[in-house]
Amino acid sequence: MKKSLLWIVVLILSISMVAAFSLYGCKAEEAVEEAVPAEEEAAPSKGVVTVLGTWGGDELTNFQEAVFPFTDETGIGMAFEGTRDLAAVLTIRVEAGNPPDLAILPNPGQMYELAKDGRLIDVSQFMNMEELNQNYAQAWLDLASYNGTLYGIFYKVANKSLIWYNPSAFSAAGYEIPTTWDELIALSDQIVSDGSTPWAIGFESGPASGWPATDWIEDIMLRTAGPDIYDQWVNHEISWTDEAVKNAWEVFGGIVGNEEYQYGGSTGTLTTNFGDAPASLFTSPPGAYMHRQASFITGFFPEGLVAGNDYDFFPFPSIDPAYGIPVLGGADLIVVFNNTPEVQQLVKYLATAQPQEIWAAKGGGFISPNKAVSLDAYPDELTRKMAEMVVNAEVFRFDASDLMPAAVGAGSFWSGTLDYVGGEDLDTVLEEIEDSAVDAYK
Amino acid sequence: MNRRITNLFSRALLHVVIIFIAFAWLMPTLGLLVSSLRNRNDVLSSGWWTVFRHLLDFNQYTLENYTEVITASGMGRAFLNSLIITIPSTIIVIIIAAFAAYAFARMEFRGRHVLFVVVVGLLVVPIQMTLIPILRIYNGLGLAGTFYGIWLAHTGYGLPFAIFLLRNFFGSIPKDIFESAFLDGASHHTAFFRLALPLSIPALASLAIFQFLWVWNDLLVALIYLGGTEQVSPLTLRLSSLVNSLGQNWHLLTAAAFISMALPLVLFFSLQRYFVRGILAGSVKG
Repeated sequence: MKKSLLWIVVLILSISMVAAFSLYGCKAEEAVEEAVPAEEEAAPSKGVVTVLGTWGGDELTNFQEAVFPFTDETGIGMAFEGTRDLAAVLTIRVEAGNPPDLAILPNPGQMYELAKDGRLIDVSQFMNMEELNQNYAQAWLDLASYNGTLYGIFYKVANKSLIWYNPSAFSAAGYEIPTTWDELIALSDQIVSDGSTPWAIGFESGPASGWPATDWIEDIMLRTAGPDIYDQWVNHEISWTDEAVKNAWEVFGGIVGNEEYQYGGSTGTLTTNFGDAPASLFTSPPGAYMHRQASFITGFFPEGLVAGNDYDFFPFPSIDPAYGIPVLGGADLIVVFNNTPEVQQLVKYLATAQPQEIWAAKGGGFISPNKAVSLDAYPDELTRKMAEMVVNAEVFRFDASDLMPAAVGAGSFWSGTLDYVGGEDLDTVLEEIEDSAVDAYK
Repeated sequence: MNRRITNLFSRALLHVVIIFIAFAWLMPTLGLLVSSLRNRNDVLSSGWWTVFRHLLDFNQYTLENYTEVITASGMGRAFLNSLIITIPSTIIVIIIAAFAAYAFARMEFRGRHVLFVVVVGLLVVPIQMTLIPILRIYNGLGLAGTFYGIWLAHTGYGLPFAIFLLRNFFGSIPKDIFESAFLDGASHHTAFFRLALPLSIPALASLAIFQFLWVWNDLLVALIYLGGTEQVSPLTLRLSSLVNSLGQNWHLLTAAAFISMALPLVLFFSLQRYFVRGILAGSVKG
């Protein structure tokens, strides 16, 4: 009996070893096959480019579809590895000498670190710089450069200066779209006096709680202090206790310091997940009327809503007329670790309009920073409007917290906003952030 | 009479406490199960317990989440990959641990106590500390991204606990049994295969469950050593990539959790008999 047990064990073991070996053996060819649509005739296999990124779900599907035409033409496959814990996984893989060919980073912060350590390939070596200069605004190229060397290409943009509303609820209540900050506050007061709540806000996001609040402050900062001071603030050339910073926080406090303005009061704001917050715009009667969030929030809206009909947006209004309506945004960028001909070809392809238009047509709030991408490629009026804002913005600035050192931009800034909403004294909050910033910018 | 009543009363109290604890323990899983059967808008607008108001109204349930997860591309492959990773990682650990544990428990050799302390000491090494150095070695050997590499990794991470558990179980088998076997001329080989192994089936079964669950549920080790490409990634990695970069589609994870739970549950219930005995393994003699 014991002997037969042992034999079974050995048998199972060897079967699974053989199975794994045969599966592994054909790994390389299969990767290419899977990236090629079955009905197309595949070009001969020429290897696979590995890509590491945070995309998942329909983002991943759309990206894979955008790469299909490339694989058809060149025979080079793309194997995508997705993880939402990109920073940690990438650090480990790079340290261990096993980086992916390409990585798609959710912000330039880690790119600067990797570039500083000499891990990245200078993409200007093989890219057609004339075309890049033509298709990308200088600001995008500057953001993707470190010490004057271009290390990345921006691919997917999120427009953050948006205030979402429900058009039918607005017209039912007879509310007008505000075009200035004063009108926005007047509208908020009117909604309160009508017995409802103007703002649906949610700052909870697990360990990243507080980031939606930093976007508020950044948007306000751009409008009260202007882009130059904003840049100084990002680089810590002005202190967090500076009058300009403090002023932006106080304007923000005009919203989050007012219990009647927020759905569920400040407790609701602190405990509601950012993705769940907009749901109250679509109840009947509406729990709240306005929601400030980036273009990707449409992915969290309840199912079955029609763009333009059930939801729409207006730009975050100007505060100081001198600075107009700047656009705040975030963006994913492609960086290169291995300089092989296949990788070069793929990066060149990704920087053209074709793959970006394929994804744009799929919707999901995709906005391309590439000027060569036709606005007609976007599937609906709403996305087109968002894309237009980004392309035509007189002033575009990248999300400040994404550019700051992690100890501040993904640490004390996040927690500081929560303390402030929770009722802590503003000077104390700013001094605490300043303390951490002094160390972080060394 | 009086005594019987007190006895009955204390038993009833015990049961109430046990039922309460079991209920509290199951609550999150129950909530997850109910949520996985509701559509996204309902989950957003009301708590899962609200279904109990009209429990039998079947319109409020939907299998949509499940069908969406199961039909997502690459799911079958991921399930197979999970099996390919988990089964050898479990079997190799049990075989090596059983040999090692027998040696530690029954064979006399110099330095065996020191060696055992070292092995047990490995239990406290945080797995995260080992990721970079091991991945570096794997790169040199060409093991990164292969199933061999991940079997080896899981074996290494699983062995200290497995050896510890089995050694204590072997140690608790009465010494006399082995001595009489040796008197009859049995070698260590015979003693191991004909005495130690058959007597420790409960411990082996519970170790199998522990190791199987740990490898089956693992995300980190697979993500680092194997990578997330469709050809090799296990179920955990595949399921996590159903969610968009900012967490859109999170409602699918409720159904995904139950799908990935299914196989371990079957395993647990089929080996449950041994499992309960196995938890006590080695607890008598340390």
